[in-house]
Amino acid sequence: MKKVFVSLLLLFTVHCSLFTVVHAADYPDIGPLPERKAPNPKAVELGKALFFDARLSGDAGVSCATCHNSENGFTTKMPLSEAYPGSKHWRNAPTMLNIVYKKGGFGWDGRLMDLDDMLRDMITDSMNMNMDMQLMQERLKQDPKIVALTKEAYGDKNMGTSQKGEMTHYVARNALIQFLETLTSKNVPFDKGALSGKAKEGMALFKGKAGCIQCHNSPYFSDGKPHNTGVPENPEVFKDPQRHFTYVAYMMFMGVDNRMSWRRDVGYYTISKDRGDVGKFITPTLRELKYTGPYMHNGIFTTLDEVIEFYNQGGGEDRPGLKDVALKPLNLTSAEKDAIKEFLLSLSGDEIRFDMPKGVKVEYQPLPNWREVKN
Amino acid sequence: MTMQNIKPKYLILLATVMFIAIGGIALAAGDPDMDPPLAPLPDHPPIPTDNPSGTNVYPSKMDAKQELGYLLFFDPKISGDGGIACSDCHDPKMGWGFSDPISRGYPGTVHWRNSQTALNSGYLNKIFWEGGTTSLEAQAPAAAEGAVAGNGSRDMMEARLRFTPEYVKRFKEVYGTEWPNIEDAYGAMAAFERWLSQPNTPFDKFMKGDKNAVSEKAKKGKSLFEGKANCIECHNGPIFTDEKFYDIGVADPPEFEENGIQQVTFRFQHYAKGSAEEIYRTHKSDPGIYFKQKRLEDRGKFRTAPLRYLKYTAPYMHNGTLFTLEEVIDFYDKADGVDRWGNKTKIIKPLNLTKEEKESLKEFLLTLSGEEIRLPVPKVPDYAPMADWQPKK
Repeated sequence: MKKVFVSLLLLFTVHCSLFTVVHAADYPDIGPLPERKAPNPKAVELGKALFFDARLSGDAGVSCATCHNSENGFTTKMPLSEAYPGSKHWRNAPTMLNIVYKKGGFGWDGRLMDLDDMLRDMITDSMNMNMDMQLMQERLKQDPKIVALTKEAYGDKNMGTSQKGEMTHYVARNALIQFLETLTSKNVPFDKGALSGKAKEGMALFKGKAGCIQCHNSPYFSDGKPHNTGVPENPEVFKDPQRHFTYVAYMMFMGVDNRMSWRRDVGYYTISKDRGDVGKFITPTLRELKYTGPYMHNGIFTTLDEVIEFYNQGGGEDRPGLKDVALKPLNLTSAEKDAIKEFLLSLSGDEIRFDMPKGVKVEYQPLPNWREVKN
Repeated sequence: MTMQNIKPKYLILLATVMFIAIGGIALAAGDPDMDPPLAPLPDHPPIPTDNPSGTNVYPSKMDAKQELGYLLFFDPKISGDGGIACSDCHDPKMGWGFSDPISRGYPGTVHWRNSQTALNSGYLNKIFWEGGTTSLEAQAPAAAEGAVAGNGSRDMMEARLRFTPEYVKRFKEVYGTEWPNIEDAYGAMAAFERWLSQPNTPFDKFMKGDKNAVSEKAKKGKSLFEGKANCIECHNGPIFTDEKFYDIGVADPPEFEENGIQQVTFRFQHYAKGSAEEIYRTHKSDPGIYFKQKRLEDRGKFRTAPLRYLKYTAPYMHNGTLFTLEEVIDFYDKADGVDRWGNKTKIIKPLNLTKEEKESLKEFLLTLSGEEIRLPVPKVPDYAPMADWQPKK
């Protein structure tokens, strides 16, 4: 009798480990994005101008929009992002859409917890915009239009300066955040409760058999945590010396050990320096993914079908103990995969596009009465 | 007035005259300090013990470290965008400086002062117009990393060197390191700059005994330099600078008023260097070494410029406002520079030089330059993937 009980228990354990039972209720539920307080329209106007303004980069040649292009879902179509001249990026550019809903963990390795800090690093990092923000501030103060707009938007505030309504690098970052507040999903079938029958099936799989909800949860569709799913390395990162040295420079900056020897993206290990975290990346949002391919931290998958098949097979390979135990082969049928894809596509709303300002003017007019006016 | 009252005064005067005679050092009228005599340039600059290199100078063959520095000096990998090298602002074709009054800057920016020659810089103790850097090893990073100069980050530049097999090999030979380090790159550049010296000008030959190395006119110019014109008060010793700080009242460059991007850099300097709020808001002239200690009495002062190689380094002054040596000599002759902040040195007085005297002075100044030194622009080495680049989990 005792033997039978033990065998049953053993069988049950084996069963559990082979077929993970996902309880959607254990995770923050997916749902429509909550409303946010409307930003100050003048600050948005300023932030939008700055988003497209190459004067925010060291050589006045790169703007935020260079890598977060509205024509490509505020990212680029390339697997690996553009970078500052003289370097090449080793990761995929994430979308800016709905970024204001992200609760910390900015960057694929989640190195920053605050959007203002993230903007600061994007502007100053040598592989991104390589800008001295004090110089950026003085560039912007040379432009009468920017000065006037800043006064309108921030006229009653001293932000990092003795003068109310004066452009500072702090104001610039704040205005950019106000603009990002407007880059939120519009008219999303999922949010409106307008899912097709197939998409509904997909949602059930998402929450159940496929277990996506274990990481892609909450209205933002991300737990904001790092996971190792065994995504294959993108060989271009190491084959191209410029990408490789850009990655090495980043590891130097972050104090990663053994940086000349790694031939993989160590991900969250950069932050935690815990060997168990090698290869972990912060769960990305799934919203607006219709516009944001290629996918994964290194853009290794071009289509959603590839992504779904990747998870269907239980993710990729890694050294023992590194890959997330939540990943197991899903045994999805072809129809089930289609349903999941249908559901995923219903998380994308109307495309948000801006006309790139035609040739951002990177010329500076001298200030009239230079000798008389205050700096 | 009795004799007893007068006597001590004469004693003091006598003692002073004797002291001057013994020291062999001239004190011109109103001279605030003693001036080291003019002298030939030592055969090589001092070599710091923490960055050893050969004592050989141009045109002898470079040693391995100097040659590595030569490559790096011309290599744009040492900059933010991998597109601008030391040699872009210190161009051998422009006297190892830059021919615009105010130097070019990093792409998208402009500098705010005249670029000085790199030649003979190994003999200086105070580098930059503010003289705040005391070694070439410290000068290199200040230039390579400054936002309106090289705008490079150490990590990125070091990583670039490590993916350049030719550099991996050369750094290993010179420093014995597995991978190039950026500090060593700066050290090699400094070694190259020490090699880039010119201790054999007509003036040096003359001082070493070749009486025919300079013309009679130049000899007259030397006497004026040391006497009536009193240039020696600040431009003294073998490198023709006392490395002290003076406001001589040089005019503001027109660029500050006429050029928007120049105004950006001007404010940036004040902001980034931490000028007091009132100074940042109101000043429209370069406050020079005020940036160092933020003392109001330092405003407008700059380190005395060395005069060697000046045949090739026009325009002159910290902001390049004087284009020719004639203009420079006239400037000191008239002594009518602006005194913006009450800091202008009292040393400068009208000189009443004749036309002939001015010409002699110029003739002498030109003997401080030898032949123009130009080096070929080397082909800089390329990047390559690591031999074992294949991804590995």
